[in-house]
Amino acid sequence: MEKVLEILNSLKSGVDFASAEGIVTNKIIDSIDIATMIARIEDEFDIEITMEYMENKNFDSAQAIWEMVQDLQEA
Amino acid sequence: MTITSVSFLVFLAATVLVFYICPVRFRWIVLLVASLCFYILAGAVQFLPFIVFTSLVVWLCAFRIGKLYEEQDEKLRAPGLERSQKKAIREEYKKKAKRFLLLALVLCVGILCVTKFTKYVVNYLNLLTQALNGSAPFSAEWVIVPLGISYYTFSTVGYLLDVYWKRYSYEKSFPRFFLYAIYFPHIIQGPISRYNLLGQELKKELRFDSQRVAFGLELMLWGFFKKMVIADRLNIYVSNIYDGNDYTGSLFLIAAIFDAFQIYTDFSGYMDIVSGASQIFGVTLEKNFNHPFFSETVPEFWRRWHMTLGGWFKDYVYYPCSISGFMKSLNKKAKSALSDRGARFVAVVIPVFVTWVLTGLWHGTGTPYVCWGLYYGTLITISTAFAPEFQKINKLLKINTDCFSWHLFRKLRTFACFVGGRLLTSPGSVRRGLLIVKTIIFGFAPWYITEGDIYNHGLNLANFWLALICLLVLWAVSMMQERFSIGEKLAGQNIVFRWIIIYLAIFAILIFGVYGIGYDATAFLYEQF
Repeated sequence: MEKVLEILNSLKSGVDFASAEGIVTNKIIDSIDIATMIARIEDEFDIEITMEYMENKNFDSAQAIWEMVQDLQEA
Repeated sequence: MTITSVSFLVFLAATVLVFYICPVRFRWIVLLVASLCFYILAGAVQFLPFIVFTSLVVWLCAFRIGKLYEEQDEKLRAPGLERSQKKAIREEYKKKAKRFLLLALVLCVGILCVTKFTKYVVNYLNLLTQALNGSAPFSAEWVIVPLGISYYTFSTVGYLLDVYWKRYSYEKSFPRFFLYAIYFPHIIQGPISRYNLLGQELKKELRFDSQRVAFGLELMLWGFFKKMVIADRLNIYVSNIYDGNDYTGSLFLIAAIFDAFQIYTDFSGYMDIVSGASQIFGVTLEKNFNHPFFSETVPEFWRRWHMTLGGWFKDYVYYPCSISGFMKSLNKKAKSALSDRGARFVAVVIPVFVTWVLTGLWHGTGTPYVCWGLYYGTLITISTAFAPEFQKINKLLKINTDCFSWHLFRKLRTFACFVGGRLLTSPGSVRRGLLIVKTIIFGFAPWYITEGDIYNHGLNLANFWLALICLLVLWAVSMMQERFSIGEKLAGQNIVFRWIIIYLAIFAILIFGVYGIGYDATAFLYEQF
């Protein structure tokens, strides 16, 4: 989870990503941030994020991203 | 029959009557029959086989893909399977599903490409052969563009990809799916609806709700006002200036600004009319505009303008491109060869340009639309990649970024960027657009405005000022809409006040609307797609 927060903080400063909800829905991060983040997450966790996971709900909070990472690690 | 014609209002009234007379469980069938009638009455009976073919191909392929995934899930439920075995099963079924996906994509996107690009390709081939041997042997007269092809192809292909990516389950009934494709409020000009939203809306129990019907009618009125009073009035001046030759920069600048407002009121007006009509049946269409001229950046503008098209390209072009194998290997190479920031730039720039050039080609074929795509790709890349530099410049120049004037400047800058983009396509060619820009900069001649020449180009003094007053009304209503729902506020007022407002809107459309013999008030700009 810390690593996810670290990646999110590197994208945008001044946002408390640990508690922030709806970060995609409320346009705190945009599609370009998501694409940048995916490359980092894949490197960091050695996973491959496929199109099945490319839905707003999987990127809408640090917790949602972490759950997606765990899901992909188990798959 | 077009959306702003009296015959459409009669058609809508008749459909509403039959719709609410019928029992709830048959109401979707009324909408299906009405949608077929609308398509035929719109003069598109010869195009019906195309929409039926695309819908059938997509529905069948999605059906097969869905069945394959059900089989896969059944196999995965078997006890004692190891992780590697599960992975092999998933890969096997993914491969099978991919065949159906590719088949549908080739057929449906193929038809779209043939109808949209053949004329352009044939034109270039003829130019080539003319240069070589003086003949032009190729003809594109056989090419037809079915009504709404870009919209229904994108909507149905989006559904197919969503089923392939397991975002939701497949539709078992073809008539239900066909209603989603041909639903009359969205068939001609969008919005490009998602199946998980519109498909579900059409499956709801569609019951009568007087307040929702009233909101729908009020929204339609506002749409007619935008289209017939503002867009069609501005169109007179814009087409007069753009079709002419020797004008001064000041007249061109006003035409460019009016053109931006014209396309906005034309397209968003259409959306209000069809969204309002759909609301009468209890079916909510997706929002396509969210006051784009209040945007402070170009990326924000495109999140507020033609939102369903932007969302479609983001989900089905930008993301697949960003996470494709090619981009991943390119990113790895960039990381080893460049700095972290340089690698990030590479990761952003290619998918952004691919998406924007394709968005340009969606709007039209030819050099202006490719240039338009490159223009927005460049603007969005600059605003994203150089955001830290812009912040540093602001700090260095001690600019207060938290005040009205700064926000106003950013809004005007975004508007100017939009006007710049329109100048690439609206005057007919990039060359003409650049000539207009040159004239605006080097031949402004403001005295043409002050001496009254401005009133000699289609709009006389009264009409010109009426257009400006209507733009003020547009701004005031948009400001209110940003803060609250006007429909709900009106509903809370006394009936007399409410009807005064409604009558005022009706009379404004009847008195100030631009229509009549010889004037085609109903040619919506986005219909051509």
